[in-house]
Amino acid sequence: MKRLIVTIAFALVLTVSNVNGQNGSSPAKNGDAASGAPVTLSLPNKEGDVRFLVVGDTGTGAEGQYELAKVMLRYRQVFPFEFALMMGDNLYGGEKAVDYHKKFEDAYKPLLDQKVKFYAALGNHDESNQRFYEFFNMEGQEYYHFNKGNVSFYALNSNYMDPKQVKWLEEKLATDNAEWKIAFFHHPPYSSGEAHGSDTKLRDVVEPIFVKHGVNVVFTGHEHFYERIKPQKGIYYFISGAGGKLREGNVKQSSPLTEKAFDKDMSFMLIEIKDKQMYFQVISRTGATVDSGALPRLTSKPAATTSSGP
Amino acid sequence: MRISLTAILAILALAIAVSGQDGSTASSKQQPVATLSAHDRQIVDTFEQRVKEYAKLREDLEAQMPKLSKEARPEEIELHKKQFQERVRAARATAKPNDVFTPEAAILIRAIIKDEFKGRDRAELRDTVLKKADTKAVPLRVNYPYPESEELLEMPATLLLRLPQLPKQVRYRFVGQNLLLVDRENGLIVDYMTNALP
Repeated sequence: MKRLIVTIAFALVLTVSNVNGQNGSSPAKNGDAASGAPVTLSLPNKEGDVRFLVVGDTGTGAEGQYELAKVMLRYRQVFPFEFALMMGDNLYGGEKAVDYHKKFEDAYKPLLDQKVKFYAALGNHDESNQRFYEFFNMEGQEYYHFNKGNVSFYALNSNYMDPKQVKWLEEKLATDNAEWKIAFFHHPPYSSGEAHGSDTKLRDVVEPIFVKHGVNVVFTGHEHFYERIKPQKGIYYFISGAGGKLREGNVKQSSPLTEKAFDKDMSFMLIEIKDKQMYFQVISRTGATVDSGALPRLTSKPAATTSSGP
Repeated sequence: MRISLTAILAILALAIAVSGQDGSTASSKQQPVATLSAHDRQIVDTFEQRVKEYAKLREDLEAQMPKLSKEARPEEIELHKKQFQERVRAARATAKPNDVFTPEAAILIRAIIKDEFKGRDRAELRDTVLKKADTKAVPLRVNYPYPESEELLEMPATLLLRLPQLPKQVRYRFVGQNLLLVDRENGLIVDYMTNALP
């Protein structure tokens, strides 16, 4: 009975729309025929809200990364996100100076010129030395924390979740009174990917901490597609790992974890947080919106378990 | 040498103690706490001491170099790594396998890994490390650099809670059947042990 009530409660509060403009905002359009499809925004886009971009697995230096970067720029013209979260695999295949330029700086130069700050997490293709790189804003740390408005962000190194990091995370969260607590890192605790799937060993370690200390949202990458996971123990999990690579058709079709997935093209996310609502919009390389909605802040308590397993 | 369940639990207890966990979250599955036998404690101490000696050596060498800024340019990062590698390689020119991984420590670590990965977990670990990982070009040579082109395979979080603790400068990494110790900044392979996978 308790489980039924919890399920119904989730259904009531999770008012997610997949259609642009259904969250009470007026769609903003900024047609740019020279650069592809019109920009159609389904976010409130209010000054003072916490507005940012999420993208992962970007660092190829290949054409697709650059094309997606152009779409980011076009969206920023109508949705002036202040910063971007990077889910790791920031530099594939080499870490020479030329790699930093080709696989990051050149691709996102227009955004960097507009003072967009990138906050990076490390993936399994990233060396620790990236933490010193000026444009990754890691302050010399592999895992770190920062605040934006009423939102508290935790960048974690899921590639090496050792006891020191676990202790840091637990202690930091224990004294965190922010309205929203968001963790981002590379490996997804929940995933419907054929190639990798859920990282259950990582989940065993971090999920109890997230639940205990009320983390609301988790962004990850590693899988080269987009997936919105059904809420797990009161936490929203997203995978945004198609910023430079695409693993087409890799999402398991019958996965019980999937709320919405997109594995047909590369993509990134736009996020806006206002009070107790988080709005999101997922955009593909063509500029099309492939998922969007508004999510209320949930309380991640152990009692609200709706885990769907690996 | 035979490794008893007590020894495994003892390592576990050590990991929990070092991590400062209260057992209410991540470490709850690794309870109960046990005490290291004097013999096993000595094995772990010797291993950890050798890693610390390496860490001190490389810290001393890095301290002689220009400090890398927290807002460094790519060229600075590349140069720092290159020079750091050269200094450590020169200082450890005579380093050889098992300088850090003693045979006794290797046996203990194998037992921990085997205990952590059973059934499906074991099959998945072997599949990930031996088939999926892009680590084929990593040389199994002490004091050689881990190639930048190769993946740094994720170390399973639950295993890291159980293995002997390393100073922050050194990392465990699986490559093929082997477990490596890799310097996180200069990328050099500090040491390795074979047949690590269960």
